[in-house]
Amino acid sequence: MVQVLFFASIRELTRTKATEATAATVAELLSQLIARYGPKFERAVYSSEGLSREVIIMVNGKHLQHLPDGLRTKLVPGDTVAIFPLVAGG
Amino acid sequence: MYGWVGKILRVNLGTGDVAVEDLCPEIARKYLGARGLGEKIFMDEVDPKVDPLGPENKLIFAAGPLTGTMAPSAGRYNVVTKGPLTGTVAASNSGGYFGPELKYAGYDAIIIEGQAREPVYLWINNDKVKLRPATHLWGKVVSETTDSILTETDPEAKVACIGPGGENLVLFAGVVNDKHRAAGRTGVGAVMGAKKLKAVAVRGTGGVKVADRDAFLKAVFAARAKVLAHPVTSAGLPTYGTNILVNVLNQAGALPTRNFQTGYFETADKISGETHTATRLVRKKACFGCTMSCGRVTTVPGGPYASSGEGPEYEATWAFGAQCGVDDFDAICKANFLCNELGIDPISMGSTIACAMNLYQEGLLDEASAGLPLRFGNAAAIVKLTEDTGFKRGLGAELALGSYRFAEKRGRPDLSMSVKKQEIPAYEPRGVQGMGLEYATSNRGGCHVRGYLTSPEILGIPEKLDPDSIGEKPVWLKTFQDLTAALDSSGVCLFLTFAIGAPELADLLTAATGLEFTVDDFMICGERIWNLERLFNLAAGLTAADDTLPPRLLNEPMPSGPNQGKVARVPEMLPSYYQVRGWTQEGTPTEEKLVALGLA
Repeated sequence: MVQVLFFASIRELTRTKATEATAATVAELLSQLIARYGPKFERAVYSSEGLSREVIIMVNGKHLQHLPDGLRTKLVPGDTVAIFPLVAGG
Repeated sequence: MYGWVGKILRVNLGTGDVAVEDLCPEIARKYLGARGLGEKIFMDEVDPKVDPLGPENKLIFAAGPLTGTMAPSAGRYNVVTKGPLTGTVAASNSGGYFGPELKYAGYDAIIIEGQAREPVYLWINNDKVKLRPATHLWGKVVSETTDSILTETDPEAKVACIGPGGENLVLFAGVVNDKHRAAGRTGVGAVMGAKKLKAVAVRGTGGVKVADRDAFLKAVFAARAKVLAHPVTSAGLPTYGTNILVNVLNQAGALPTRNFQTGYFETADKISGETHTATRLVRKKACFGCTMSCGRVTTVPGGPYASSGEGPEYEATWAFGAQCGVDDFDAICKANFLCNELGIDPISMGSTIACAMNLYQEGLLDEASAGLPLRFGNAAAIVKLTEDTGFKRGLGAELALGSYRFAEKRGRPDLSMSVKKQEIPAYEPRGVQGMGLEYATSNRGGCHVRGYLTSPEILGIPEKLDPDSIGEKPVWLKTFQDLTAALDSSGVCLFLTFAIGAPELADLLTAATGLEFTVDDFMICGERIWNLERLFNLAAGLTAADDTLPPRLLNEPMPSGPNQGKVARVPEMLPSYYQVRGWTQEGTPTEEKLVALGLA
């Protein structure tokens, strides 16, 4: 199973801090999560141009943008996927 | 003048003399205000070798040309001096309402000279300026001091004061204004304490004139629209405050934990912005003219740490939390509120306690001398030792020197997670390489808000950089450091830069002051200020050898998590950084660079 963690306003949409899923890639995982959590979750992670610029997705602590396969990044049991809205502080 | 009010107040605490001087327009144009103006005045008047706690050191409160105007988040001022913790130039930045009030009273800056024989406070009521006895306030915490002064002067006045921390010369004491906003870092409060100046209270009923009202309003609304549209400044910061970063940095393996022994804190969610918001937040609070409202009014309703106050911010949560291995958010709140009341910097306080815990772990500090078991995770210790430090009791008397001097005395300065003797903040350089370079090169010692590369490296603002790469970081860092220096000196909040940048800030300055500021002009102001700070530090005796990180971060690979096996690569980046800056490889600005910046 892949561990999925939700944070900040994403957590408010899912109403849970974490879930588990079985998915071969990040894209497949997001499809499952959209089916589970609905259109608001979909709008939080996707825009009309693809992956939203207002979401931070990390796979085992690595930002999706720095993984060479992006949404096609393969997932294996034991992986952790963390999903945040765009946030900052200091 | 427009934007600036054009006057500087000079007060000598030794003689009691008060004078009002004109602000030099050329200096204002080149150094803007707040940080830059305060530093220029300071460096023109003070020997870089001055004893920070001696009477020859000066203390300058300075606002910026945008402070107190309708520009977004324009409530900032700086306290400038030579810092007792670092021996570098110290410029500490605060929000709230004090800075605007200083402008409304008719002053861009206050220069404090000398040393009072007995405690005093400065009462500025527009053009009436008096030094008043403060013996009855000495020993009082920040809220009591503020309330007393408001009763004695004017309930509408704004008060910046020190607590027992500054009085007792805690080397990381801050100046706290409006009870909860702090010029927190670099020990500016200890300098104020050494001068026996308990507080500055100011009431102003004037205003700030702008040169072109229509153009200024246009620039204000353009900038504000961007702030209100950006997800960070319109949603993330207002909803969760700065504590929102806890989980992000932790998931990235870059939340320094147990004195930087690793970058992942197992129970981080218990101290996160999400938990803070859900369980302890009373309401949000904004500084002057700010739509972000990132301030938190917080209550711990019961239990051993029952208390109320403002914060904790991300940095304080981290310093008392992950850095000390503590996941009791109530204890973190209590320690943070104590810092506000005692007037001490929670970053340095928490990290100095973490250093003591590391020494305890290594068997170099025993329970008898500490007064309690100093194991990582001991929530009671962060509260007790914070209070003891503010009053310099027991082990607190030693902790008041900061982690470097504390650890050095025990033969292990390497266990101090500091740069130039100031504790580094809440981003693990082995996981955020650019932040390592920022810490190493910050002109005021270990600091995250001189060039906040976490924004591109972790958060992806304005674009995403790989936190593990190093090639492009020196150029990015120089740009961020120069931009921040100019922004700080304008009198607005750094958090604006998540939504706007140099073009919007240059437009605001141009319309406010009536002087043409292009983006290049604005950035050159920042670069000039950065180089001025560097020149001061070199003259004070610092060298390129001080541009480094604690050996743990350079030599010990991260033991686990996403950044396992990595070290901070500052030595590889530093030559390139010096080159990008136009400095020699010894870290000295070249004559050519100084001429280009008007500093030669």
